[in-house]
Amino acid sequence: MAILTANELERYDRQIMMGEIGQKGQEKLKNARAFIAGAGGLGSPISIYLAAAGVGTIRIVDQDRVDLSNLNRQVLHWNDDIGETKADSALAKLADLNPTINVEASCETITDKNISHLVADLDLIVDAMDNLPTRYLLNKAALDMNIPFFHGAVRGFEGRAMTIIPGKTACLRCMYKGPIPEEKFPVIGVAPAVIGSIQATEVIKYIIGAGDLLENRMLVYDGLTMNFTEFKIKKNPNCDHCSYST
Amino acid sequence: MSIKVHIHKTHRQSTDGKEVVKTAGNSVGECLKNLVETYPGMQDVLFEKNGKLRNLIEVYVNHESAYPDELKKAVKDGDEIHLTFMLAGG
Repeated sequence: MAILTANELERYDRQIMMGEIGQKGQEKLKNARAFIAGAGGLGSPISIYLAAAGVGTIRIVDQDRVDLSNLNRQVLHWNDDIGETKADSALAKLADLNPTINVEASCETITDKNISHLVADLDLIVDAMDNLPTRYLLNKAALDMNIPFFHGAVRGFEGRAMTIIPGKTACLRCMYKGPIPEEKFPVIGVAPAVIGSIQATEVIKYIIGAGDLLENRMLVYDGLTMNFTEFKIKKNPNCDHCSYST
Repeated sequence: MSIKVHIHKTHRQSTDGKEVVKTAGNSVGECLKNLVETYPGMQDVLFEKNGKLRNLIEVYVNHESAYPDELKKAVKDGDEIHLTFMLAGG
């Protein structure tokens, strides 16, 4: 277990004060290695808050370049970053936010060919994708590697989050009925801000071993009514991703 | 026998803006058939041309997933059905 430096003790003072975290929890955060799939609307708050909290290694992957139309919601990227890869932009911001952690950023498409390589040696996967097929790739990879998968998705003022623990909970695929049409989804930046923050909260809780995770619970957020609704999700014994793990 | 069906805001243009619609039936399928009889626009929202529930539609009964075979799921007086859909954005 890595020991915290004097600088880190000061940086994280306000959270080390928390009974749920303390110095031991902070050391767990420092030793944790997270994969963030996507540096867009969800990936921005997820990576910012995990970096700020002191998650020791963050590997973030995104295939795109920053576009003007991203800036309403992807707060990792600023006007001067237009045209840069999101990976480079994310790396610069996160390294500047917290130089005491290790940030690895890669500009590539997540596929079934490279997914196991991309998540190798990491402790958990965070879903910050903008499409369902890649989410299912991540879900399967997490199950195969026996590491948790933190799901999130948004549309408009709405979003949802669920935490998947292999061998214990329902997975993202447990309600799969077949492919759905892709769409250019509408979204206001505060929706991924809320959902990404919930995902980051789940990751931190998992790492330090505190609280109750969103296990078998799909949390649905409606920003228009400002309601959170919880739906129970059952593990599907015939799920083609997780039915082998009990 | 009264079952409340909660309509997602995206679909309320098909229910005259109503968020909750009272319906009746002994199964989710019967309730949705009843719903469609009152609000025919919900047919295309919920079902494929062949009558199969669309892949993106999620059905919850009393806040629990009704998957699989959602339409066969039994319901009783006072139950609540939530109709929503998978989100893919990030």
